[in-house]
Amino acid sequence: MYHKTQCEGFQCEQAMLEVPDGVEAVREGVLDRLIAWMRQKSLFVLAYGTGCGAIEMRPLMTSRFDAERFGVIGAATPRQADVLIISGYLALKTLRRVIRSYEQMQEPKYVIALGSCTINGGMYWDSYNTVKQVDRYIPVDIYINGCMPRPEALIEGFVALQARIKNGEKGGYHHYRENIDWYKANQRKVLGDQVPPAYTYDWYHAGDVA
Amino acid sequence: MHAVVDSLAMIAVSYVMGFLFYGFYRQLNARVQRRWGPSIWQNFFDNMKFFFKSETLTHGPMFFFGPMIIMAGAFTTVLFVPFLKDSDWLQGFSQYGNLILIIYLLVVGPLGNALAVGSSGNPFGVMGVTRGLTRLMGLEVPFFLGLALVMLQHETTSVHAIMAAQDGLANWGLVTNPIAFCVILLPFIASQNGSPFDVVGAPVEVYAGPRVEFGGRLLGVLMTQNMMMSIAKLVLVVDLFMGGATNILVLIGKAFALFLLTTVVSMVFPRLKTEQAVDFFWKVPLGLGVLAVILTVWLPSWSA
Amino acid sequence: MSWMLRLLFLAVSLSPAALLMAWDADLSWPLIEGVRLSLTLTPLAGFFLVLLALVAPLIALPMLRRPSDVPSLVLFVLLLIGMQLLLLAGDFVSFFIGWEVMTWSSYLLLLRSPRTDMVTSQSYILFNLASAFLLLAGILVFYSVTGDFLIRAATEVSRPQALSLVVLFGLAFLIKAGTLPLHIWIPRSYDQAPDLFSAFLSGSISKMGVYGLILLLTLFPDALTGFAGRFLNGPAVGYLLAWVGVITSIVATFKAISQEDMKRLLAYSSIAQVGYITTAIGVGSSLALAGALYLALVHTLVKVLLFISVAGIVLQTGQRRFNDLGRLIERMPISFFGVLIGIIGLAGMPPLPGFAAKYLVFVSLVDARWLLLLAAMILASTAAFIYCYKLVYAPFLGHANSPEAREAREAPWPYLVPQVILMGLLVLFGLFPGLAIDVLIDPVLVGLQMAPIGSESWAKLSTAYGGYDGVVLMLVFGTAFALVTGLFLLLRGRMRRAGSPHDLSFAGEVPTAETPLHYGAGMGRELRRIPLVGWILRQGTQGFYLGLAGQMRAAAALLGTLYVGRPQTWILIAVVVFALSLAVQAMMGGL
Repeated sequence: MYHKTQCEGFQCEQAMLEVPDGVEAVREGVLDRLIAWMRQKSLFVLAYGTGCGAIEMRPLMTSRFDAERFGVIGAATPRQADVLIISGYLALKTLRRVIRSYEQMQEPKYVIALGSCTINGGMYWDSYNTVKQVDRYIPVDIYINGCMPRPEALIEGFVALQARIKNGEKGGYHHYRENIDWYKANQRKVLGDQVPPAYTYDWYHAGDVA
Repeated sequence: MHAVVDSLAMIAVSYVMGFLFYGFYRQLNARVQRRWGPSIWQNFFDNMKFFFKSETLTHGPMFFFGPMIIMAGAFTTVLFVPFLKDSDWLQGFSQYGNLILIIYLLVVGPLGNALAVGSSGNPFGVMGVTRGLTRLMGLEVPFFLGLALVMLQHETTSVHAIMAAQDGLANWGLVTNPIAFCVILLPFIASQNGSPFDVVGAPVEVYAGPRVEFGGRLLGVLMTQNMMMSIAKLVLVVDLFMGGATNILVLIGKAFALFLLTTVVSMVFPRLKTEQAVDFFWKVPLGLGVLAVILTVWLPSWSA
Repeated sequence: MSWMLRLLFLAVSLSPAALLMAWDADLSWPLIEGVRLSLTLTPLAGFFLVLLALVAPLIALPMLRRPSDVPSLVLFVLLLIGMQLLLLAGDFVSFFIGWEVMTWSSYLLLLRSPRTDMVTSQSYILFNLASAFLLLAGILVFYSVTGDFLIRAATEVSRPQALSLVVLFGLAFLIKAGTLPLHIWIPRSYDQAPDLFSAFLSGSISKMGVYGLILLLTLFPDALTGFAGRFLNGPAVGYLLAWVGVITSIVATFKAISQEDMKRLLAYSSIAQVGYITTAIGVGSSLALAGALYLALVHTLVKVLLFISVAGIVLQTGQRRFNDLGRLIERMPISFFGVLIGIIGLAGMPPLPGFAAKYLVFVSLVDARWLLLLAAMILASTAAFIYCYKLVYAPFLGHANSPEAREAREAPWPYLVPQVILMGLLVLFGLFPGLAIDVLIDPVLVGLQMAPIGSESWAKLSTAYGGYDGVVLMLVFGTAFALVTGLFLLLRGRMRRAGSPHDLSFAGEVPTAETPLHYGAGMGRELRRIPLVGWILRQGTQGFYLGLAGQMRAAAALLGTLYVGRPQTWILIAVVVFALSLAVQAMMGGL
């Protein structure tokens, strides 16, 4: 994940996006490598149209940018999806649905956060109702910055995500499971009793990790 | 021993043909839409990805067994369709079955899965099942009528006998009974879940559909059976109308030709609503079927 | 009630079976001068007696559960005796007595239910009395033509006599079988009858209409072909009968889909199934009759199974509407399997015997070259999948929709034992489709002087058009199922059970117990948007009868204009009629 400790500037950020270091890998044998390779070849996307970024996802899927050549294709429900795209700012109302959808996805699952709004609130940085840092509520694997990022940038993000999956790196879902209490506390802080019911996450505690 | 090896070979052949055909379909579709599209192996990757998902959610035993039933139904269907003629291989158990049995076997699996969808408790899934059953009600009437014309023509329900009667191009069902082929063509596309009759799953578009609750490995099972079932149906139509095949290459060629025909039809038409589809089946293909009955059954018997 | 009485009741319920075992002679004694009563067991009657023998004890068992209703038990015994008399009858007098005993005892049994209202009981008794009187009229005509009451082939009758006989008898039996538009009494009475008695009404009593229709074929061996010749490869009169049957099943199927009550749905499905049987009888070939008998067998087993399961649900929950049930699969698993096996048989899915029966009928239609009928029948039998699914989904799957459904417990054992037996029988007949042919159906066909179907082995159903092997089918399916499940469980990864029934992908929302998640009654409602189905569902048979009554009234009014108040007009009419009749007589050469 991206941290501002190492260097500054757009070029540097992009490089860190694509070649992350210091990330723990969970690779084991040949079979795992093969599975990881298949996984990165096929990403089903749950495009959660929360903000204006949703507009950029349509051309991504259609003829001009053709994400299907990377194996990226839309999925109808969270149960079938591998990647959740958060397209733009999250209001408190939508945050609840995003968390619910994310928890309903089947592991391995990844989150791509699209646009500046997901990183620091973007142009809504002083809004009372907008989530400034999505990372505090669900684990984000890839940020794509810009306001709005063009579809090419989105493709760049997908390719970077594929490279990570291929390398067998730990996805954000591991992080979510390991720090579930922290995430839930954050969620509860903003959502109050609107937080998704316990049965959607209490099995994270149960410890039966794959 | 022969039966076991033969059965495994049939299942493998139908699976491989399945993902390659659908991979080709996706690529062709992409080219028609002026884009590059995924590789031909994409369906295989998707399928394997689902099989190796590390988490799978179930809603109880019935939910788990539904996909198993549908997969067993797909295996059984494949094994009861003879893939080759005049050959010991790729026959499965087809000599113990017949055409009507195969048509019914095609629906056993989906109905088993419908139980799983119901037990998930998701109303969107059940809506999808109802849509599927409604479409089935529409398509089955002309489909069965067309196949009945073939059964009547050969006076048998045995696929083997129908295949054996078509020796040479001049005796293909396509040549001797073209109107029956026209009757079944559109319902056949619908039974393959092809556009414009694909409202049941409505891939990527509608939230509701039989698969709404399935994820992970269970979805992989559903995907696999869909590909295998499609191949079984293609081979069945090849057997009935295109004289069957004597070796695997001819079989692939003929099935591919048929697949291409259905593909180009479904590629250019938008999706119909369920009731529009049913009404269409009861007007156009069924009307054609009634015409076929009058022409090929009534008129000869009156003039005789 | 003491256990002695219960034992006695059970013994009586076994009497059809005992009769079947022990009967080996014909009884005959004179009633009055020139009229002999005779009791004999023809193969055809034997087949229906087998059905009765299978069903009677299975329904009697749950009826005995405390607190049992003694008058119901007595009436049930009476009903059984009447039906046995009906089946054993070798002459029309005892046939009619049996028919009347059946009618009246079933009527009184129907009245035992607190839910039966005036309209239901009236329509039940009106239609059944009409059936009985038509039968009586037919019998009298038969007597006047042949000079005795023995049930035998009437060869010496002239064509108009035969026609009137066929119409009288045919209507009587069609009312009992409940074909369109004579079915109007069925949905109400099957719905409102005591829950267990509905099983008997649908499973056994409706079969008496079928028995009568097949008996009619034996009375006039060439009735189907004799009247109007042949159409394509089958009898032309039968073509009409077959269409009546098929239209019955199509309309009843769509009506069944739109029902919101379990028993009413089953009632309509019963009409539809008997419609198939009527179609098969219309085809009249040996294949078709085998199909009709097979369908009768399967329908009896399936409907008794389903009605008993439903009776169990009603007993445990007190609810009978699809809206008020749901999620009983965990609370009533055996009943779930009962309904599941029942609908698989009802839908005619392989490998259960419903498929064998449908297969025979389909093949017979292809053989008769009646393809349009075949298409119509496919329509009915595919549309049946929808109500079958509704029947298993709405009570057992989805979400519990009422407090009773949330707390229900499995039905008591007297309800479960018959279900398990019937499931076993269905699976047995499904594994061995040739068994029913060989043991039950071929003797009847031989008795009717038709070509038997024959079977190389019990596992196989074989016709001239090809057949299938039930054991191989079941083995392949079972092996595939075991293989698939095994392989699936071998794959890596974790299975996780949803933490709550509300853990649904619901467009990001969190449904709660208050969210309407059950799709029970709504299922099939959207079918109305299909023009043909919508049209069928908008029509009602009641409308048909009201229209008929209106037409009658109009005709009577027209006739009434003749009776004007002036005497001279009457005299004028009388003179004209007298003159006309004289003229006719003169022209006929009577004078």
